[in-house]
Amino acid sequence: MTHAASTESKVPQAGTALDPTEPDGGVVGLKKPKPGKAKKPGESPNIFAGVFGWVWLAVIILPIYYIIITSFRTSQDLRANNQLIPTAEPTLDAFILVIQNDFFHFFFNSVIVTASTVAVVLAVSLMAAYYITRSTTWGGTRLFQLILLGIAIPVQATIIPVYYLIRQLGLYDTLWALILPQIAFAIPLSVLIIVNFVRDIPNELFESMRVDGAGEWKILGSLVVPMAKPALMTVGIYQALQVWNGFLFPLVLTQSRDVRVLPLSLWEYQGQFGINVPATLAAVVLSALPLLVAYILGRRYIVAGLTAGFGK
Amino acid sequence: MTATASTDTAVRDTGAGKRRQGPTFLMALPAVLFFGFFALIPLGGVLVISFMEWNILGTPSWVGLDNWDTVINDRPFTWRALTLTLLFVVGSYLFQAPIALMLGVFMAGQQRYRAFLSVLYFLPLLFSSVAVGLTFQSLFSPYYGMSAALPFDWLPNDWLTNSDIVMYVMIFVVGWCFIPFHALLYQAGVRQIPADMYEAATIDGAGRIRQFFSITLPQLRYTIITSSTLMLVGSLTYFDLIFVLTGGQPANAVRILPLDMYITGFSANNLGHASVIAVILVAIGLTMSLALNKLSGSSKMESDKAGA
Amino acid sequence: MSRHRTMRAGTAGVAAASLFALTACGGGGDGASAWILTGGGWPAIEEDLERFEEAHDVEIDVEALENDAYKQQIRTAVGSGDAPTLIMSWTGGALLEYVEEDRVVPLDGETGDLESRVHESVWQNGVVDGSVYAVPLNDVQPVVLYYNQEVLDEHGLDLPETWSDVEDIIDTLDGVDDVDAFSLAGGSIWPAFMWLAYLTDRHGGEGAFQAVVEGEDGAWDNESIIWALETMQELGENGFIGNYNAVTADQNEDAQLLADGRAAFLLQGSWVYATINQDFPEFADSGNFGFTEFPVLEDGAGDPSNIVGNPANFWSISADASEEEQEVARTYLSEHLYNDETVDQMLDNGSLPPLNDIEDRFAGAEAEDFLTFANELAANANHFQLSWDQAISPSEEQAFGDALAEILQGSSTPQDFVDTMNAQ
Repeated sequence: MTHAASTESKVPQAGTALDPTEPDGGVVGLKKPKPGKAKKPGESPNIFAGVFGWVWLAVIILPIYYIIITSFRTSQDLRANNQLIPTAEPTLDAFILVIQNDFFHFFFNSVIVTASTVAVVLAVSLMAAYYITRSTTWGGTRLFQLILLGIAIPVQATIIPVYYLIRQLGLYDTLWALILPQIAFAIPLSVLIIVNFVRDIPNELFESMRVDGAGEWKILGSLVVPMAKPALMTVGIYQALQVWNGFLFPLVLTQSRDVRVLPLSLWEYQGQFGINVPATLAAVVLSALPLLVAYILGRRYIVAGLTAGFGK
Repeated sequence: MTATASTDTAVRDTGAGKRRQGPTFLMALPAVLFFGFFALIPLGGVLVISFMEWNILGTPSWVGLDNWDTVINDRPFTWRALTLTLLFVVGSYLFQAPIALMLGVFMAGQQRYRAFLSVLYFLPLLFSSVAVGLTFQSLFSPYYGMSAALPFDWLPNDWLTNSDIVMYVMIFVVGWCFIPFHALLYQAGVRQIPADMYEAATIDGAGRIRQFFSITLPQLRYTIITSSTLMLVGSLTYFDLIFVLTGGQPANAVRILPLDMYITGFSANNLGHASVIAVILVAIGLTMSLALNKLSGSSKMESDKAGA
Repeated sequence: MSRHRTMRAGTAGVAAASLFALTACGGGGDGASAWILTGGGWPAIEEDLERFEEAHDVEIDVEALENDAYKQQIRTAVGSGDAPTLIMSWTGGALLEYVEEDRVVPLDGETGDLESRVHESVWQNGVVDGSVYAVPLNDVQPVVLYYNQEVLDEHGLDLPETWSDVEDIIDTLDGVDDVDAFSLAGGSIWPAFMWLAYLTDRHGGEGAFQAVVEGEDGAWDNESIIWALETMQELGENGFIGNYNAVTADQNEDAQLLADGRAAFLLQGSWVYATINQDFPEFADSGNFGFTEFPVLEDGAGDPSNIVGNPANFWSISADASEEEQEVARTYLSEHLYNDETVDQMLDNGSLPPLNDIEDRFAGAEAEDFLTFANELAANANHFQLSWDQAISPSEEQAFGDALAEILQGSSTPQDFVDTMNAQ
């Protein structure tokens, strides 16, 4: 994290890294341990760690390097030359072929599915988490137990009845078939993460809002949402990645081009392009580009957001 | 909406002192409906279908315990799939957990080069499992992939088809995908450890390794539990990469339960048998999660709530 | 804060709106649809469908899927009542199930003059219980032995006529680095079915497998099948290309190995002729690309004229399609299928339509040599064996593939194989 690097003397807190413009929730008494450095500066360099770090970098980079250089080749070029040395005659043919094959259509489908799923998951999980932590009846605890159980359900294992259900509802081969079940399966973990944050909001704040005559929806909007923001970011980013990358549901629940999402399209491209490996890998590169752009633009938020909610 | 909700809670204020106002169940209703309809009903459904014969084309019909009898008694592969699943889960954990932990500690350090490397370590998270699968499939291609390009004769070139090594290859590729995320969790965890703990330890003359075991590890307890749960349950149900990497080809050496379920259900068209496998998977998943929960002391919720 | 919320709500609204739009057109209903495969002669079929759309001012939504993807998805689609209007199959067990479950409609009397134009033996594959449920849509697909003349010349080899010739070739190439006798996409398994089918047939004749199809008890436990499996394991040791289990056919890697001179021969379906012309034009035009019959087994009981392959791919019409969609599909089958332009295009690709008197049509075609060869092969065959994986019931297909994969990997014995298959 360059944020940490550029402010050598000032170690960021998980919370500040998340939103540097806003003072951390310390105001409301979120229990944050005093931040500290893991290692003292000026300590003798850790050679083992250095070697390990660079070796892991090689492991990470080699495949990425390979897809990038290959995507600029032709398939003849790939067969004729050393596969790990960049081609002398780079070409965009592979990318053009992928784009001509409805790439943006599939991309747009993925955006719709991911955005709708995540929006609904955030809304309903937040409401449920609020109910669970602040309900005065037995319902809250019972519901939480149910939710905890839900985390343990292996999603993949329910694909057969989900297929049956979707088929009976007449939703087979629609985007709904992807959105509705994925919302359901994202709820447990999302609720758990948000609950961990909402729970720590001091009761006095709720009491004082109630005294001021605020209704539950008002409290939800102007107290719970801001307080749970790190958790909401984590849920949003984590679930967006899950849905964006999801493969089994699209594989079983959709078939036509109209509703094909990116991961499934990658798989289908492979069959379609056959020996044209560069085209398949160009599709892989293109599919990662939007996330790469997001990562470059909002690295700090993404990295901190992805983990903030798990920290508790 | 707002009005209804607030009057509702107002009425509830009995003034008994202990009793507080709270949100209505209405708040939780959408989540409950979604979860109930698309998660709990299918969960029950998988048990129901395990007692039925269904070839996808027709409608399911009851066959009682036949599927269970066949899958458990007359299908030697079931046991092999179970063994493979165990190997995959344990292997993935042993590969991912230590590396993720070490990387997390490494990334939490303040050195500039570490910050730079951390930016790059994130990159695998940008690729979907299918993308990673396709990448490694072509990288591992025997005649036109990595082994052909590198001048090392000792490199195997049947990475994905040699049944002796393919399981380890899968564990590696799946780890490649998921280690970065867990490393981030650990990085965040390490950064929350108070610095004065290390300062005190240094004054006491504790070395780097001592500090790691006596401060870092214990302080990361909750991160370790979170990360381990995600890793173990995740690899138990892992499907995407293995499916793509083996290309739907016979892959008996890595046919772990989720893949076995898919192949039995959607390639061999026996959804009854596949549901039996799915129920076994659910049972293992639930047991494992509950066990982990016990280990980590789930009573945390109760005590915190009481204190709130 | 509130700004963020509004934005989020806005995004959700837009998403929901586009969702309605997309589901509306995804559900189908306007215009027929058809799924085809990728590669081989399929692009010609797609063009043919496009010409039909233009000529009749109708819409047929064509979707091209890779072989494995097709097999995975067609069934869930048919089961969901969401099948394409035109359902492609290889007939055999899958068509039987479609008919049993009333998923396809009978086509008796609705196929124009097609029946009189198509070879009787091919036509019969689409007939179930006396009714026509499927009609052929492309070419006869015998499995043949392709070779690379350059490799043969380099090592002083001749085309094998008998199995002992094959053994000599294997011995000769044994000492050669980087060249093996037979390219084989063992990773895809189905090309290995072809070996099993030919070897069994040459050893014991068509009766051996016929007993399996007819469901005789213990029919897999047959000396010819066991001999074929043993022979394949020997070829696995020496004969098949190194790492044949890592080679896949869906990426045409097996054809590539032949084209690149890493193997002398490739046993594959006739569609590979078109694939090689498309994907490896340098090899196809080099004069080194050749084709021949599967060798004779001395002392074998099988008729040497017997061939293995697919009679053709077939169209059926989905019973779940609307009346209008079915009508469009029926018009396509009765009025357009095997029209002159398309037949000529098939012939140019080296694809042989299963039509009577076709030999009058391909004189002078670019692929005349191959067409003459394939036509004689098909016409002279005493028995045309449908690919084993298509002939057995779809529920056994997976087990069959898995069991043969274990044979190729050397992790089970031929006896294990027949025991597994008999238990199905």
